[in-house]
Formats: sequence, C-alpha cells, structure tokens
Amino acid sequence: MARLIGLVALAGSPALAQEALVTAQLGNAVEVVDLATKKILQSIPVSGAPAGIALSPDRKTAYVTRPEGHGIAVIDLEARRVTGSLDLPGGPLGIGVNPKSGEVYVADWYGARVFVLNPSADGLKREGEIATGQSPSGIAVTPDGATLLVANRESDSVSIIDVANRRETRRVPVGQHPFGLTLSADGRFAYTANVVSNDVSAIDVAAGRETGRVATGQRPYVIALAAGRGFVTDQYSNTVTVFDPVTLRKLAAIDVGDHPEGIAVTRDGKTVVVANWGDNALSLIDTSSLTVTGTIETGDGPRSFGDFLR
Amino acid sequence: MKFRTLAAVAALATVTFAAQAHGPTRQKVSESIEINAPADKVWAIVGNFQDGSWIPVVEKTEGKGGNEPKATRTLTLKGGATVEEELSKYDAEKKSLMYRIEKVDVKVLPVNDYSSWVEVEGDGTKSKLTWRGAFYRGYMNNDPPPELNDEAAKKAVSGLYKSGLENVKAKAEKGS
Repeated sequence: MARLIGLVALAGSPALAQEALVTAQLGNAVEVVDLATKKILQSIPVSGAPAGIALSPDRKTAYVTRPEGHGIAVIDLEARRVTGSLDLPGGPLGIGVNPKSGEVYVADWYGARVFVLNPSADGLKREGEIATGQSPSGIAVTPDGATLLVANRESDSVSIIDVANRRETRRVPVGQHPFGLTLSADGRFAYTANVVSNDVSAIDVAAGRETGRVATGQRPYVIALAAGRGFVTDQYSNTVTVFDPVTLRKLAAIDVGDHPEGIAVTRDGKTVVVANWGDNALSLIDTSSLTVTGTIETGDGPRSFGDFLR
Repeated sequence: MKFRTLAAVAALATVTFAAQAHGPTRQKVSESIEINAPADKVWAIVGNFQDGSWIPVVEKTEGKGGNEPKATRTLTLKGGATVEEELSKYDAEKKSLMYRIEKVDVKVLPVNDYSSWVEVEGDGTKSKLTWRGAFYRGYMNNDPPPELNDEAAKKAVSGLYKSGLENVKAKAEKGS
C-alpha cells in the first residue's frame, strides 16, 4: 500500500523533481536550486566569477569554470561542497564532459585551445590541449564520446575534433560569432547561437557542413532542444526564440527576464529552464504551451553556461 | 567622476565592439533616486531619447529616429568627446527605455558592450527614477590595468548615474 501511494505521488508530480545548478557569476557562488519547491537548497561559495558548468557522467560531480580566478572548481553534488580545484591559464569559460570517458574539456576564451582534463583519485589533472579557432566558447560531445565540437566565437566556425587523436578534423564555417553549441540527442546535428548575425546555424556533424540558419532575436546565446523544438536565449531581446530544428522555421518568441543566458531542458522534456543574468531569476517554460509557468529567484548574475540541470 | 574628467582628455582611438571578444564577466550597476515630483514630469525630462541634456556631462544631442526602436543619437560631451548610442526599447506607458552604446572611447567611459535602462515609477506626486546598466570592463583581456578593470568600469558608470539622477531630481523638484 505504501508503495502504491508512493507511485501515485510520483506520477502526480514528476515534472520538476530535479535540481538546477546556478552559477551566480557576480555573487561568486554556485546555487543548488530545487525546481519543484523553487527554493535554493544550498549556496556554495565559488570565487573567480563562476560561469560555465558541466556534470560528470554519473551526475554526481559538477565542474565549474572560474574565468576571473583562472581555473576550475570541482563540486561534490551529494555533499554540496567544493572538493577540489585546478588552476588554468587564459580565460576558462566554456566547459563540457565526455559522457563515456568522463574527460573534461575547457575552452580558453582568450586563446585558441581547449584544455583536456582528467578526473583521477588525486583530483583533476591537466593532460594536454587541443588547438581550435579563436575564442572557443560553447562545447559539446557526441553521445558515443568520440567527437568533440567547439564553437569558435572569433573565427565564425565550429571545430569538429576527433577525441581519440585530440585533433581537429574539420572546421565548419557558421554565422557570425557562434557562442553556445548544442547537439541533438543522437549527436547527428549541432546548433550554434550566432551572437552577431542574430541567427542559429544547423550543422550536419557527419557531413561536416552547415545545412541552414534560422533568424532569432538579438544576441542569441545558448540553445536547448526539447519536445522536438529548439529554444534560444536572446540576450538583448529578453526573449527565448522557439524554432523547428528540422525545417529551421521560427515558431514563437517567449518573453523572459533581463539578459537571458544559460538554458537547458529537464529530464522529462517538459520544462525549459532559463537563467536571466540581469534580474537574478530563473524562468521556467512549459515546452508544450510555450509559456512561462514560473520564476525562481537566484543570486547575482546567474549564467549557468552549460549542462546545469542535474 | 571619470565620465566628466576623462572627457576632456579623450583620445582619438575608439573601440568598435563587434570586432573583439569581450571579457568573460559582465558587470551591472543600478542607481535609483526618490523624487518629489509627478512621474509624468520626471519622464518628460528623461523620456526623450533625442535630448540627453539631463545628463550633466552632455553638451549636445544630435540624432535621428525620434523615440522609435533603432533611433540613434550622438552625445557630445563637455570637452568634445562623443558617444554614439542606439535606442533598443521604448515604452512610454511604462515610462521605460533601453539603449546601447555603439561607440565610445574607453578613456571616456571605461566599458564595453554597454546597455542601459532608464525607468520612472510613481504617481501624481512622487516618483522613483532608476538608471541601470550592463557592461563589460574597458580592457577586454586578462589582467586589466587598474583604470580599465571591473572596479573602474563600475565606479565610472555609478558616478555617471548618480550625477544624472541628482540633476533630474533638482530639475523636477524646482517649482513643484
């Protein structure tokens, strides 16, 4: 009976049983936010203007970039505390994790390289770097762990990198100044948010070429894919542009908060979560009605650039 | 107040924002002031994008496009430096406008990629004027010199805002 009640309760409220990890860049903290209760469960101090975030394959560890502290903070998400750190040169901003090997990739915003880090029993170790275009920013890894994609903001291109050889195999021209980069669930298509040309580029990863673009609001930043649609934060328009990732047609523009930046979808695909840097809040968007269903207050300057829903 | 003092020594070099990557950490500043005057009166002072004379350091405003989005204006500052700006959003009903700086010398205002909001709330007797902005520091790489770091950017913007708000308060409260 108890089990039955448990199941009923679970069926009744599964949608937001998930945590958002908010990098409050001006607040110098990473906040663990419970999406169901809309409460900050824990604020973890992280200095150095934390911005980018990625999670280990088992979702128990967060890696957070500290571009002004020049390094990475490692957070144990069960204990909700910083357990390690690693100094890096340049401007570590974009970050991604290999879903198979757990290898961590960090883009140097001021350079033309991605650092390769490996988690070990003694902590995170730097194991080399991979050459990319200028100002690498958004990072994604295909589900098979074999291919790394990097948006090169100043080179107007995407680097397609063979993980095994740590070498760029192709460079795909896209729109002007790509920042966020998101892969489809099957890893076949990538999408970049081009902040200067105000559009999204679609890329066929295997073919190594751009297949089309869709216009967005001003300063598109990061993309989430959910319920067969694409969602892009428009930093300057204070909107999320919704598009069809196949036909590349614009479907809607949803008003959110000031300077929306990080965006990601919940596990169940029903809610898109947006970090609004300007007004210190998360917006929750229902992916079927395309309306904002709630907001959650955060610390100062939430960015959550990366994989921030646990 | 850097905006005023540095205007006099404005160099020829200018920065076009799209050409280079900005720093990694955008900053924000927000200043507000309570004014003993109706909101409509305060909005009449600050709500015309083609008239920047409420900002003490501004000597002349030239522009086109009125108060429509994408309207532009060039502010000439005391001392001769100029700031090129573009209107992004304008809502007369909410008494709110947003604009961006398209071009400014970092020696005049040590910021990059600057946008700001001017907003008036209130009623027929009292109002609150808020000026808030978002921007990156003047130096776009690591290890900025002190005059172009995050603190310098915030200090300059905050000083500009406070002087502007105080000036509007003085103007609006006069004779009311």
